[in-house]
Amino acid sequence: MSAISELSTVRRVKAKSPEEKRLRAKEAARDNKAGYLFLLPWLIGLVLIVAGPLIASLYLSFTNYSLIQAPRWIGLENYARMLDDPRLHQSLKVTFIYVIVGVPLQLIAALAIAMLLNEGMKGLAFYRSVFYLPSMLGASVAIALIWRQMFESDGLVNQVLRVFGIPATTSWIADPKYALWTIILLHIWTFGSPMVIFLAGLRQIPGMYYEAASVDGASHWAQFRKITLPLLSPIIFFNLVLQIINAFQAFTQAFVVSNGTGGPSDSTLFYTVYLYQRGFGQFQMGYAAAMAWLLVAIIAAFTAINFFFSKYWVFYGD
Amino acid sequence: MALNRRQFLIGAGGLAAAATTMGLSACAPGAPSGGSQGGGEQGGKTALALAWWGNPTRNKNTEALIQAFQQASPNITLNGQPGDFASYWDKLATQTAGGQAPDIIQMDMAYISEYGNRGALLDLGKNGADTSKFVEGTVESGKINDQLVGVNAGINTAVIVANPKIFEKAKMDMPDDKTWTWDQLSDVAAEVAKKAGIPFGLVYLFGGDPMFGAYLRQNGKELFTEKDVGFEPADAQAWFDLMMKFQKAGGIGTPQQISEEGSPGGGKPIDQSAIVLGRGAMQYQNSNQLEALNAASGESLKLLRAPSLAGKATERKAWYKASMLWSASAKTKNPEAAVAWINWFANTKEAVDIDKAERGIPPNAELQEYIKPKLSPAQQQVAKFIVDIKPELASTPIAPPPGGGKLAEIMFRYESDVLFGKASTAEAAQKFVDEVKSNLQV
Amino acid sequence: MATPLETTARLTGPAPQEAIHHGPTWRDRVRSVIKHIVLIAASLIMIYPLLWMVASSLRPTEIIFRTPGLWLNDLYIQNYTEGWYALSYPFGQYIINSFIVVVGAIAGNLFACTLAAYAFARLKFRLRGLWFSIMLLTIMLPFHVVIVPQYIIFNKLGFVNTFVPLILPKFLATDAFFVFLMVQFIRGIPRELDEAARIDGCGHWKIFSRVMLPLMGPAIATTAIFTFIWTWSDFFSPLIYLTEPYAYTVPVALRSFLSATEGSNWGPMFAMSVVTLIPLFLVFLFGQRFLVRGIATTGGK
Repeated sequence: MSAISELSTVRRVKAKSPEEKRLRAKEAARDNKAGYLFLLPWLIGLVLIVAGPLIASLYLSFTNYSLIQAPRWIGLENYARMLDDPRLHQSLKVTFIYVIVGVPLQLIAALAIAMLLNEGMKGLAFYRSVFYLPSMLGASVAIALIWRQMFESDGLVNQVLRVFGIPATTSWIADPKYALWTIILLHIWTFGSPMVIFLAGLRQIPGMYYEAASVDGASHWAQFRKITLPLLSPIIFFNLVLQIINAFQAFTQAFVVSNGTGGPSDSTLFYTVYLYQRGFGQFQMGYAAAMAWLLVAIIAAFTAINFFFSKYWVFYGD
Repeated sequence: MALNRRQFLIGAGGLAAAATTMGLSACAPGAPSGGSQGGGEQGGKTALALAWWGNPTRNKNTEALIQAFQQASPNITLNGQPGDFASYWDKLATQTAGGQAPDIIQMDMAYISEYGNRGALLDLGKNGADTSKFVEGTVESGKINDQLVGVNAGINTAVIVANPKIFEKAKMDMPDDKTWTWDQLSDVAAEVAKKAGIPFGLVYLFGGDPMFGAYLRQNGKELFTEKDVGFEPADAQAWFDLMMKFQKAGGIGTPQQISEEGSPGGGKPIDQSAIVLGRGAMQYQNSNQLEALNAASGESLKLLRAPSLAGKATERKAWYKASMLWSASAKTKNPEAAVAWINWFANTKEAVDIDKAERGIPPNAELQEYIKPKLSPAQQQVAKFIVDIKPELASTPIAPPPGGGKLAEIMFRYESDVLFGKASTAEAAQKFVDEVKSNLQV
Repeated sequence: MATPLETTARLTGPAPQEAIHHGPTWRDRVRSVIKHIVLIAASLIMIYPLLWMVASSLRPTEIIFRTPGLWLNDLYIQNYTEGWYALSYPFGQYIINSFIVVVGAIAGNLFACTLAAYAFARLKFRLRGLWFSIMLLTIMLPFHVVIVPQYIIFNKLGFVNTFVPLILPKFLATDAFFVFLMVQFIRGIPRELDEAARIDGCGHWKIFSRVMLPLMGPAIATTAIFTFIWTWSDFFSPLIYLTEPYAYTVPVALRSFLSATEGSNWGPMFAMSVVTLIPLFLVFLFGQRFLVRGIATTGGK
């Protein structure tokens, strides 16, 4: 065992003497104070900017609030209505499909490309920028409009297919069967953000491990499984949790591609699009707030499950 | 934990950065001090916030209007807040929620009762709004609960725009829009689509509420009454059946194509619409969009009337719609100044010289006459049409009650369901009416 | 599996000259070529829409949507000159506004998120778990619902039509995404380094500034780059908080070119979009180098 880990072992031995106990108590107090000092900006922000609106939105979910007039208390009526709301159920279905299909595919693409780019190669900076570009604009209206255009009956995608001899005339964004998939595809296309994060994480893994493993005769796949995955696992976990949270909240792309309707026939009615329609479109902000908190509950559940299982596969250096 | 010098410097540096950006940000360049939202005093003048949605042309026009108005009334300053239609309403709603609604608000028929019925709009009539010279039928649309909360800023009406070139190509005469019935419209659409080899004989007809409204009125119903939906599921079903008839005859395209075009104003942008790209022979629009359509398509399009049940245009119960209105916030600190702007815009030659009917034909009859020779050819065509249909008008429909502004969207969604075979016309009609009713907040 | 330090020990033990170097074999070369082909093909697919937008910015508005190809017959530069002056103010004004907001946002995030992340990741304090959960909770709430109460708060404070509501929250670590990101990074750094510094007599602040921050290079770069890009493209907040045109940021200004009902100025809009893309691209290009400069050391002194 190295000297330093020996040191750690020593520290882990339980303090027995009263002196040591006092020392540890003093350290704990110092840690406590330091913790709150470091956390101070966040705490101020929480109190000033976040907590207020958070609690307000919870309160609003029990009211009828048109934005134009003051809120009116109606108790659980919004939540009761949600049970019977077919469009709400549809929006949940659409969003779930998006999350369950889109997130893994996007992360796999991101990791694959990140690993390719991590190998160090000619033109690395160029490729990295190119692969990141779509994400930079992915949320922009211009790109979503172009994307919609591409998948129309005479759009780019069909034209390319025709070049290959396929008689393509389907309007992908206008058919309830396919419209959602164009948006999922758009999500996968914008894999740049998780890719950059993976890349940063990969860069933090010292190359020496791979060299040592090669010297030991390990195959690429074994290296991936034994070095990359474990050491990258905090980052994978981060990307997984956050991409799921983001995917549940996806708004702009669906909104622009469907022209704000969630159509055709509500096939692209994302949860937040429906929320927006209710809140701003129909001046039912109370109902929208109730929907928001249902979403929080769903996302919290997914996140908690993620955190729970993380202890089985996420390896931290500390 | 005492701070040593280094920690102090870093901390101070952070705070300084924060302070600088706060300082920079608190005074946005050129801002009047204190981040005014209008409604205050600025060096002895009254300052009002004026919000509108538009496009670069209208924005430039409106800025010129503001300058001209400020010269005419030197005691009033107007701070303009332009925006685009889609995000305009989100912003207005948020501002209203925060008690910061702009003093003068450009308003739309779909939203006027949302704001008007909830007390957010000023009673313009009580504050001296002058609509005395307005053409008959153009004032009512701005009345909610008998209060005038919106002054018509431009007249338009529902029309069917037609491309003569395509009819030529199909070797057909332009249809006689004074005598055609709905069924004949279907025949014409199917024929021209087939003969000219284009996907759409007619586009957008079923997706917008004015045409549905016209159909209902001819059948003795209305879209809305003051507190309720004005029609039955059976009426909606008849409309959906009519749509399926059109569709099966081949005049309005395949379900996918219809879905792709979207609903008028909420689907494809106007410069990519079917008639502009040569894929459609006829298209439902608002009359004031003729100029934009001509410009985008490079053609000289014609305005046609909506059909009637009996084939007589005088029985088609048309109406003058307000393409937009001017309203004022009920909380404005300067109602007189707000109304002064509205009166100036609606009743002076100066204003109409600048605006040139971009927002719609002026409702003031005198100004209508005055500006006609100065309008572009397309606008003159529109102005003439508006005057021509006078004998075909019936009473102006009321604004949708609160919660009713989204009828067209809901209708289009159920129409999609029917087109894609997901629902029968009876089911869709029933659910459609139920949903519209459930949204009403009266 | 071997701890990082054990592997280090093993490597510094046996003689380095035992590693054998060959030149690239033909197999390596083929692999490299295939890789490049795949990457180039993928790149083309990735950026076609962007290339099309750039090409469209050089075409007159009328023909833009009828031409899906990239080939340009003429260079219609007027879109750029027109676009620059088409709105109430020359477009440069909006770019400057965006820059102010973005720089402020980056400074804020780097300052506040690193501090909060260190606390969550390394310090034990009472209720840490609770605060962490609340922090995660703040990410989960859709912004459309929170924006109205937030607007009301800022309005009461008199900050509407200033950049304050867009920048101040960043200094208060409201971007929990980055706090969480940095927490994960920090947790990937071995505690032994902290211990070593502790033995040297460092207090928390020193550990934070001398040990953590340098090692967090990639996380910091990521935060800065993402903050730049997301703040640059943020639409809804500037829409709500900036009421008058001289203060508009780029996304709000770009929207003014579009009008669903009266015909949009696509040419100038794409032209200005391209113009605003350039800073994003440059930032990313430039910032990449910091992402690359990860730790190669294993923390030995």
